[in-house]
Amino acid sequence: MSDLLNKTYTQTDTQPNNPKRQMLIKDLPAVPEITLLTKSGGIADDVSSEPMIKTLDDLKRNLQIAIELEHSTIPPYLCALYSIKEGTNAVASTIIRSVVVEEMLHMVLAANILNAIGGEPVINKKDFIPEYPGYLPGSDKAFIVGLEKFSEDSVNVFLKIEKPAPPLPKHEKNETGNLLFADPGYQTIGQFYMAIMLGIEYVNKHTKGGIFTNDPERKKRQLTQEHYYGSGGMIVPVYSIENAREAIQEIVGQGEGIDDTIEDSDKKLFGQTTEYAHYFRFNEILQKRMYAPTDTPKSGPTGEPIIVDWGEVHNMKTNPKLDDYRHQPDLLAKARAFNMAYTQLLDQIHMACNGAPEQLMKGMGLMYKLKYLAIELMNIPIKGSGMMAGPTFEFEKPVAE
Amino acid sequence: MKTPTDHITLFTEISVWLTGFNEAELLATGMLDTYYQALQANSSQDDFSYFFKAVEIILHQNRNDIASTEKAIASMLMPVSAYNGIAGSIITMWYTGNWGNTVISGQAYIQGLVWDAAQTHPPGAKQPGFGSWNMPPL
Amino acid sequence: MESIQYDVVIVGSGISGAVIAKTLTLAGKRVLILEAGLEAGIALEGEAAYNAYQNYLETFYKAPAKAPNSPYPDLKDAPSIDVLDIVKLQPGKTSTKGYLVQKGPLPFASDCVRGPGGTTLHWLGTTLRMLPNDFKMKSVYGQSIDWPISYDDLKPYYQMAELEIGVSGDVHDQNYPGITPDFFGQQYVFPMKKIPQSYLDAVISKKTNKLKVNLHGKTYQLSCISTPQGRNSVPDTDYPYSKIVWNNREKKLKIEHADPYSNLPSLWDPYTGERCEGNASCVPICPVQAKYNALKTLKKADQKNLNILTKAVVSKVIIDDKTQQVTGIAYKRYTNPGEPEHTTGLATAHVYVLAASAIENAKILLASDAANSSDQVGRNLMGHLVMLTWGLSKEKVYPYRGPGSTTNIPTFRDGDFRSEHAAWISPIDNWGWSWPVFSPGSDVSTAIANGLFGKALRTHINEVVTRQVLLHFEVEQTPDPDNRVTIDPEYVDPLGNYKPVINYNVGDYMLKAFEAAKIVSDQIFAANDLEDHTVYNPVTDPDYVVYKGQGYTFRGAGHIVGTHRMGFTKQDSVVNKEQRCWDHSNLFLAGCGNMPTLGTSNPTLTMTALAFSAAENILKQLEH
Ligand SMILES: Cc1cc2nc3c(=O)[nH]c(=O)nc-3n(C[C@H](O)[C@H](O)[C@H](O)COP(=O)(O)OP(=O)(O)OC[C@H]3O[C@@H](n4cnc5c(N)ncnc54)[C@H](O)[C@@H]3O)c2cc1C
Ligand code: SF4
Repeated sequence: MSDLLNKTYTQTDTQPNNPKRQMLIKDLPAVPEITLLTKSGGIADDVSSEPMIKTLDDLKRNLQIAIELEHSTIPPYLCALYSIKEGTNAVASTIIRSVVVEEMLHMVLAANILNAIGGEPVINKKDFIPEYPGYLPGSDKAFIVGLEKFSEDSVNVFLKIEKPAPPLPKHEKNETGNLLFADPGYQTIGQFYMAIMLGIEYVNKHTKGGIFTNDPERKKRQLTQEHYYGSGGMIVPVYSIENAREAIQEIVGQGEGIDDTIEDSDKKLFGQTTEYAHYFRFNEILQKRMYAPTDTPKSGPTGEPIIVDWGEVHNMKTNPKLDDYRHQPDLLAKARAFNMAYTQLLDQIHMACNGAPEQLMKGMGLMYKLKYLAIELMNIPIKGSGMMAGPTFEFEKPVAE
Repeated sequence: MKTPTDHITLFTEISVWLTGFNEAELLATGMLDTYYQALQANSSQDDFSYFFKAVEIILHQNRNDIASTEKAIASMLMPVSAYNGIAGSIITMWYTGNWGNTVISGQAYIQGLVWDAAQTHPPGAKQPGFGSWNMPPL
Repeated sequence: MESIQYDVVIVGSGISGAVIAKTLTLAGKRVLILEAGLEAGIALEGEAAYNAYQNYLETFYKAPAKAPNSPYPDLKDAPSIDVLDIVKLQPGKTSTKGYLVQKGPLPFASDCVRGPGGTTLHWLGTTLRMLPNDFKMKSVYGQSIDWPISYDDLKPYYQMAELEIGVSGDVHDQNYPGITPDFFGQQYVFPMKKIPQSYLDAVISKKTNKLKVNLHGKTYQLSCISTPQGRNSVPDTDYPYSKIVWNNREKKLKIEHADPYSNLPSLWDPYTGERCEGNASCVPICPVQAKYNALKTLKKADQKNLNILTKAVVSKVIIDDKTQQVTGIAYKRYTNPGEPEHTTGLATAHVYVLAASAIENAKILLASDAANSSDQVGRNLMGHLVMLTWGLSKEKVYPYRGPGSTTNIPTFRDGDFRSEHAAWISPIDNWGWSWPVFSPGSDVSTAIANGLFGKALRTHINEVVTRQVLLHFEVEQTPDPDNRVTIDPEYVDPLGNYKPVINYNVGDYMLKAFEAAKIVSDQIFAANDLEDHTVYNPVTDPDYVVYKGQGYTFRGAGHIVGTHRMGFTKQDSVVNKEQRCWDHSNLFLAGCGNMPTLGTSNPTLTMTALAFSAAENILKQLEH
């Protein structure tokens, strides 16, 4: 455990596994063994030195939630991305695209960890896709996420999604930490992963022989870097606790980070060659400016202006449903084609994460297909509404012929 | 005198008959207005208005009867002599993005339906992703 | 810029010039590149590079004929050779359409790009090594001539070229006729794993791989193998190299391990072009720059030692009568490429390199009356002669997807038959009939002319286009002194520079190969049950030839080779094996013009290997 703390909390500016990436995980006060994230109230008081997640089953369950959580942000990001009209908002498109690719990376990383401890990721079932609008899986339900076109509103929601963790309470020795606000909800994604990591450390330590599988067949279930390209970060195959730490750092470092001083830090974290966390990338869009190397989170972006044109966007109906298209059979067919392709993509990723890693390549092709289908939908007016259609992201298996 | 909206509706309807792609598929290209304007710009006023008159009659008289509509299109619109080959030009536009030998616009090339019909994508656009060519089309 | 003393002046920023510029600048030498093309195209990073390239792409989209040069600006003051200018020549008539003055009897049918980055902007990217026997055609088969160097001499430089270009391929697949197991060297792997082969390849290979064919009384077993190519796929973690460095102590270029190999993405974004995305437009333009182009090499040069002067069209090499040393390179600098107004300049350095592509190099030398004591400058112009055959498959094969070609049939690349007729390689094409008959556009217009419309039309297009199969038979052309580039004061461009005048023909050795290739093609068609649609049209095909009463049409492969060849003696060649002109010790020539013969490999990999070797020789000379 202390190993993790050392590794995670002592570096300051960039991540240990990626010197190009911002380090947003700040030093924590020195604490005794695992007292950080504990269950609040009731019995938990008696076992204050235990983490929130302390059985293998809980761990598996939470990693499955992690996969679902990573996935749940993708449809909203994709809607915003595809609604941008061809040839406009180039920088914003690049930013959103890079974030989407990285969310997929995170999904795969979470699946790798789950596979490493004997779990079976489930990706191709109906309720894997959340209901939009709705809350993020496992979240504290503070805000609602939906399928919307690219707009100031939608980017604001993205900032909320990627917002770094709030201050961690100070701990006195042996004091109970009330970090988890609304069990099982976590306030931010970063906190959620910290809870998972501490759970992994704990369960691994308390399981004879550890929880990481040595079965060569199971090891083949790991996705590797070979299967990934197109954005920053890398796929860490997970065979050990060290790999698991790396994988979680990869996710958290790239996502929102954990830092109580995120918005008012005076650290210079930016620059051309730095990979910023998603939060800052979205903030660049909203502020219509890039971060300059001299900027700090507190100063906000003061670099080159970015052209953001909220008008060059397909006027997609917010949170469309298949039902909206019931009077336009051709459109309905297209929207269903999108959903079937999307479901097929989930199938593909499911297979890739369950013993057939090479299936991920097919998934890439489907990603492109989805893009073209979504843009097609956004070109089709919903009759009588003055608005355009859009992808509905509903689970749909093709009917066997 | 027909209003342009009427003509656009007729243009959409006849395009469906001529191309074999349904209305949603045509709209999905985002090219409807561009092609309508190209048609207007590249044909004489007479050809243009007589063509639409003929279209209106054909679609009206054969309402919902596929066979007779197709027959009427084949005999009244498809011959090159009919309205200076407007029908063929409309198909060419939707399929290739060209008017004659001129490419209407970059987007027109990209949205050419011939690539859909052939289960592929226009070279240089709508890339299908690494290794996709290794399998039959999705 | 007048004040800078350069070590080397290079003419041209194509791959040959770029490789030399990169190698020299990284070794600390100061280099000036004179480039005929526009300023915008030289941008190597960020938005400028992105915008310049998007302009090319947009031009390509709008081009009615998507020919190799269609995305790139054609400059009046520095015209590009363009396949669209090729016309059928009437006997005794000269064609002056376009930059080349074609005297025939057959038109030369390959083109190139004059612009920053050169012809790799629109090359396909096939990167095959030449075979050992290709270097000794005279001694083994009694044909053409031998090279002054062997395959083994070039082997280390091939490795550098494969690193530089970033070759994807599977070494295990690479079984060519007449090679020994040490052809690649023990445990050699390419920088990246092979580009996935197409679905079409798999369908055709099923019946073609191991197919026994008869040719002139002999039986050959065909094989279908993956083709190594300069486009990005998955980096191979077993690949050991990442750098090519000049070792001043040993006076040698070395290929070294520094960091793990990572491939070269687009100029503007590290996350674009990390993989070939299947745009299927490699010729003429790869939208994501997954395909190698020479600008990627220029980007790796030491920029503080490199100056590039664009809009500078070189007209002459200036030679000191007494010393026979080059004293400078004269160029004309236009402001507006459409207007003849220009200024003139002279670039000076210790060593000079012409890397302006084979025809242009020869033309500049002829215009300068330089390097020509052998009378070989401009002679032995050659290329690959591409005979195409096309048919419809019973089974849908889904062409128009993926890179231009991912599989080839290497069976006739070498063999005893080479004493009788030329060798060839047969790439299986992934892009349907687009090359010979401009499908699928022509399929649409024919269908409309036949009165097809609606669902019937849509179905028809699907049925026809998804079954199109095209095979290439790329025939090696042997050197012929009468196939040549000359100059004539009668033919000049708007800047007053000479236009290349071309005499060109194809001899029996090649015609016999067309006959043989067609015999093989017919057997492949039969085995695959392909409905033959091949037509060689005597009236409209510019390069239509007849052998034993049979007509064949060939097309240019874009490979322009042999106009200032390398040789054993001052009498038989323009440059020595160090690629230095026999006549002028401070003038090097680079590019496919140096190649005495070309075998069945697309020439650029070999030429790039030669460019590394030339760079090494230049460094040796400068360090002397
Ligand atoms: C359609 C096509 C496909 C091809 N596919 C392949 C393939 O798959 N594999 C393969 O091996 N090869 C292929 N090639 C050949 C390959 O592209 C060339 O061999 C290679 O690019 C030549 O490189 P280079 O540097 O010698 O010349 P170029 O790339 O032609 O560069 C010449 C440079 O010199 C500049 N220049 C020219 N004249 C002057 C002047 N007077 N003054 C100043 N600058 C000047 C030009 O602007 C240009 O920058 C293909 C070619 C074509 C046309
Ligand atoms: S197939 Fe496409 S992505 Fe691949 S190299 Fe060719 S043009 Fe580029």
